[in-house]
Amino acid sequence: MNADMKWLDNPEVFRVNQLDAHSDHCYYMDYTDMEKSDNPLTQSLNGQWEFAFSKNVMDRPENFYEENFDASSFDKIMVPGHIELAGYDKIRYINTMYQWEGKEYHRGAYSMGSTGDEAGMFSEAEYNPVGSYIKRFDLSEQMRKKKIRICFEGVEEAMYLWLNGQFVGYAEDSFTPSEFDLTPFIREKGNVLAVQVHKMSTAAFLEDQDFFRFFGIFRNVTLKAVPEVHLEDVWFQPTLNKDNASGRVSVKIKVTAPEGKKVAAHFVLKDRENNQVAEDNITLEEKDGSLVGVMDTEVGSVKAWDNHCPYLYHAYVELRGEDGEILEIIPYDIGFRRLEMIDKVIYLNGKRLVITGVNRHEWSAKTGRSISMDEMTADIDCMIRNNINAVRTCHYPDQIPWYYLCDKAGIYVMAETNMESHGTFQKLGTIEPSCSIPCSIPQWRAAVVDRARSNFETFKNHTAILFWSLGNESYAGDDIEAMNTYFKEKQDGRFVHYESSFYDRNYEETISDVESRMYAKPYEVEEYLNNNPKKPYLLCEYMHDMGNSMGGLGTYMKLIDKYEMYHGGFIWDFIDQALLVKDEVTGKEVLRYGGDFDDKPSDYEFSGNGIVFADRKEKPAMQEVRYYYGLYR
Amino acid sequence: MAYTDKNKLRVVYGDYTLGVHGEGFDYIFSYSQGGLESVVKNGYEWLYRCPRPTFWRALTDNDRGSRFHIKSGSWLASDMFIDCKKTEVIMDGELQKQYAPDNNSYGGDVAAGEIIVKYTYETVSNPATTVIVSYTIDVTGNIKVDVDYTGVKGLPELPVFGMRFIMPTLADKYMYKGLSGETYPDRKAGAEKGIYEVSDLSLTPYLVPQECGMRMDTEWLEITRHTSLNNSRTDSSPQTLRIEKNDKTFAFSCLPYTASEVENATHHEELPPARRTVLCVYGAVRGVGGIDSWGSDVEDDYRISAEKDIHYSFIIR
Repeated sequence: MNADMKWLDNPEVFRVNQLDAHSDHCYYMDYTDMEKSDNPLTQSLNGQWEFAFSKNVMDRPENFYEENFDASSFDKIMVPGHIELAGYDKIRYINTMYQWEGKEYHRGAYSMGSTGDEAGMFSEAEYNPVGSYIKRFDLSEQMRKKKIRICFEGVEEAMYLWLNGQFVGYAEDSFTPSEFDLTPFIREKGNVLAVQVHKMSTAAFLEDQDFFRFFGIFRNVTLKAVPEVHLEDVWFQPTLNKDNASGRVSVKIKVTAPEGKKVAAHFVLKDRENNQVAEDNITLEEKDGSLVGVMDTEVGSVKAWDNHCPYLYHAYVELRGEDGEILEIIPYDIGFRRLEMIDKVIYLNGKRLVITGVNRHEWSAKTGRSISMDEMTADIDCMIRNNINAVRTCHYPDQIPWYYLCDKAGIYVMAETNMESHGTFQKLGTIEPSCSIPCSIPQWRAAVVDRARSNFETFKNHTAILFWSLGNESYAGDDIEAMNTYFKEKQDGRFVHYESSFYDRNYEETISDVESRMYAKPYEVEEYLNNNPKKPYLLCEYMHDMGNSMGGLGTYMKLIDKYEMYHGGFIWDFIDQALLVKDEVTGKEVLRYGGDFDDKPSDYEFSGNGIVFADRKEKPAMQEVRYYYGLYR
Repeated sequence: MAYTDKNKLRVVYGDYTLGVHGEGFDYIFSYSQGGLESVVKNGYEWLYRCPRPTFWRALTDNDRGSRFHIKSGSWLASDMFIDCKKTEVIMDGELQKQYAPDNNSYGGDVAAGEIIVKYTYETVSNPATTVIVSYTIDVTGNIKVDVDYTGVKGLPELPVFGMRFIMPTLADKYMYKGLSGETYPDRKAGAEKGIYEVSDLSLTPYLVPQECGMRMDTEWLEITRHTSLNNSRTDSSPQTLRIEKNDKTFAFSCLPYTASEVENATHHEELPPARRTVLCVYGAVRGVGGIDSWGSDVEDDYRISAEKDIHYSFIIR
């Protein structure tokens, strides 16, 4: 198969040869490897890559993926990172506007009667920058002679991949891992990996988040060696029984193995002191080319997991051969909790759930949305220090470690799917859905359901996730409904959240388990709750903390006492999005925002709504948050 | 004349100013400048220009979103430009004839038990209103400042109401007894009462410079400076000016810039080097709001009607 640039224009093409999304577990050959800081089965490709920037598809170095391509004219770029921050394309911040506003007239493919497939919109655009990346590498010794996959944890916004001159695959969805099998083309030494990244594709319509518009390989790139017998997917479902003292856990696994190979799975559960509290064994059975099995185990005595006591157990799945030899080990920390909705009130472990939450974009003033572990742990510490018990991953899935940190810290997660099409239905502040995407357009449905699937499959094992969110501000329609259906069919006990059911009450029953609003005034919250409310209520965004704000938080907090069905909300938002740059006059480092890069039209300082400044220092308003959230968390 | 009677103020009826002196303090009230022109404590000057009523705090992002500046922007002009209509001097309860040639009748230094100097200001707003600022000096040198705003129907809501003091040089620090952190009428539940010291006077680094640094419910405030514009001063010891509540606590902010300077900057690096101390002592403060930044106003209880009178007072020690 060859790469086709027309895929950029086609909403029905969003993944080509990509491996199925699966759980984000780590895997090891044996217990000794598990103790090592570097897993010998992985090899990072982060670092310096060769790079060329082009302003559009036509100008790109078309044959750059060929092995004998002369890349002497290429620059060097650091991966991960944004291409704009490396100085190539203009830095730009806009809110709901699309990048083509005032420059090109665009309507999404099939969005109105007068629009067709809009072929060429992105592949033939005069402005649609391309980053051509080349990475040359040898496989580390431990990785050789194994199946090799590559995982791109985040590439914005569409990518084509080649290895050693051969086309491998294509991916969109900037914020979930994209994995490809390199085995057919890999060599032990002298590999040439080529990635062509496009700033815009049809995914642009679905990724209209209110943020700086970047592109490039902005998260880790990792090679993964896959053992002969490999656990492709695991789904731990621990539940806390009604007695809050015992539990059970189901472990559903899917394994690939050479044909005819007999594989047994052994499940062990240990407490924090490493005492074994449960175990189970199963011989896997062949189904559709994989080996599958489900173990369901009672756990007589368990400690519950919640924000106040985020007790995690160490779960292990060992894959064993016929002679009992260990083929692969998967460790995963899981917590026991019980989510219920009783009489339209949400309970966690039998206690009414109260959310003292915040929305969080991944942000660094120096590196944009490419953030480090240190920044993630600083954010967790800040949340704990200030009584924040929940985070909405606005408006896309975060880096994988974030979810592990939340499990450990007891921060409840509303896990949002990478989806926002705000600019297609809100114009100058009014709702105007005449060319809304994805709405009920059949050609966009598979793409948005795939985004839901990637979100679910990757993060399903995280205890901290209490809500799946379909995305942000994408209007309503059959396509959003299909995302909801996808999550509901999983029956994982979590709730599905979407804000926009109030846009179109026809979808009220089918796109959210909760009545969720953003920026409803306190009296509007009361209006809903005083008039035969159908669902529990939460504010997925409230208290817009732009600049010097956070006045009147107490009025919202008092609603928690007044209405059982009011579950609190998520402050907008955690961190100011601004960039540290050198002042052209004084040479000092200063913070800049939209419009400061000759980027027009712009939404200027509207990206600065954090309860911490862009350098992560707490704003003065934080003492108010800490106080009220401390009363209610 | 040497100062002899500690139980009396030494009053100098000048042609341009009224001098009020005592042990360790020297105050000059100006007729030509229309205000308190000089507060010298132990030989150290605390004022750069006459204090004025202030009607403006820099806009917040929420103010811009709710179009507060469109509704109330005329107060910015009143904040920048104000007319002093009248100066009255009351000595030991008697209204004086302080201007020449009547002042010839005082014949030399006068001893007084109490001096009140009362300035009447008229705003450039339409309709106009008046503010009376009354300074009462007792023999110990305490200056009680009474500030009276007259509410007038038809005037738009106020961002703040208070008095602005501009000091010649940047303060080293200030200490106060009041609430922790930066507080506003609608954002002070989380603050803790205590005594706090602030040594960094720089603006809070919101992306766009805006209103910041407010401290509500203050019992007292001490500002410390050691620098001076006096070319002949050889001493650089720290000096402290103390502001105390009178009957009720007050709000204040102490920053290097006036609200209009802050208003002009889109980034912090556009502000001039910090060289003065701008102390605003407020009798009324508007909340900051928080519901959203595109239309919702501050909650009703935290807005300031300009149609009602405002009175407050504090003491300068």
